Amino acid sequence: MAGLSRRQGRKGEPVPGATPRLRVISERAYPDWEAVYRDNVGRIYALMFGKVGNRADAEDLTSEVFLTALRPLRTEASVAEVRAYLSVVARTTLAAYWRRTLGRPVTAIDEDHAPLLDSPPAEARARALAQEILSGLPERYERVLRLRFLDGYSLADISAAMGISDTNARVLLFRALRRAGELAERGQP
Amino acid sequence: MRDRAFRRYVERLAGSARRRPLARGTVDDDQAAQLRAAIALRAARPGSGTPSEEFQTALHRRLAAEFEPPATAEAAVSRRRLVQATSVAAASVAAGVAVDRALPAGQRGPANPGQEQLSPNAGTWRTVATSEELAGGAVRGFDLGSVNGFVQREAGRLVAVSGVCTHLGCRLVLSGGGAELACPCHHTAFRPTGEVIRQQLPERLRPLPRLAVREIDNTIQVYAPD
Repeated sequence: MAGLSRRQGRKGEPVPGATPRLRVISERAYPDWEAVYRDNVGRIYALMFGKVGNRADAEDLTSEVFLTALRPLRTEASVAEVRAYLSVVARTTLAAYWRRTLGRPVTAIDEDHAPLLDSPPAEARARALAQEILSGLPERYERVLRLRFLDGYSLADISAAMGISDTNARVLLFRALRRAGELAERGQP
Repeated sequence: MRDRAFRRYVERLAGSARRRPLARGTVDDDQAAQLRAAIALRAARPGSGTPSEEFQTALHRRLAAEFEPPATAEAAVSRRRLVQATSVAAASVAAGVAVDRALPAGQRGPANPGQEQLSPNAGTWRTVATSEELAGGAVRGFDLGSVNGFVQREAGRLVAVSGVCTHLGCRLVLSGGGAELACPCHHTAFRPTGEVIRQQLPERLRPLPRLAVREIDNTIQVYAPD
């Protein structure tokens, strides 16, 4: 947290001429932990869902972030400081999650605090990222992924919708995902 | 992860059931890339970013149980607090000492919220000052080897606190004309009664732990580990 004040101007104004990594929303503080929770639970959950892609784990990780962060939190800290702190806790929580499950950081929360402070919110960013992946794929690949992941179709629903067998739907789905993975990697900086 | 297990993982992710994907082994580069794409696509399903009311309420209840101050100081003595406080104790005093609120009856000070009491498993009363030395609100520092701290008389009552900053364990210095205990490391300062006066850190620091203190035959004694 040592770098926090460096990136803020006086009275929380962004430093002129620089792109502050931390965008200061306001100097106001939260009255109590409940306010911290209410204002941020949706942000943390959306951030986590975007990184793990399932509800059960997103819920567990959100709980872990608040249980870890609220204990030592000083509520006199400004809203921006609290959110920056929450996103640091979220980052380490997510890293630990991947370490203990799949053994490598499949996804990560960037070191800058943009995910929590910037609009558009995490869900809008997720839609944009999905669109980017889908737009680079052949039509059938795009369709099967869209049906399965975005629309929540089962494999049986997909085979009916696309007029193919269940087995073929499954094969198509995983081929499409492999291709999507390759595309997503190329798109990464 | 083997192909089969990996596919199951992805299938769980794609589904809408609340069951979590099961990690069976580590993933390779290709699988990690596919998984990133799958997560990105799944997170774009409408409603994905919104936690359920049920979850929010349950977590709120859990946090309230964790962070709302209990009704009485006695109720606050719990195993969890004890374990949590031990890291500070470890940084500040020698082994064999735990920090908790459970002191022999009669030795309990007027504890502030969150202020712990340092009570060693085995200790003795050690003289740290004479009664005259605390006249006029004077604050006296002491160093007993195993613990160091400060003692004063506040509104007629004796108060002794640990002399180690609750942030990272730097040794506090009496300053501000005896009005504060300053940390040389991070601009933190405490009152001689233990409350935090100022700090630059975003975490909330704990007040200084108190030590049991008594006055006997014109001497001031602190209960310290052997």
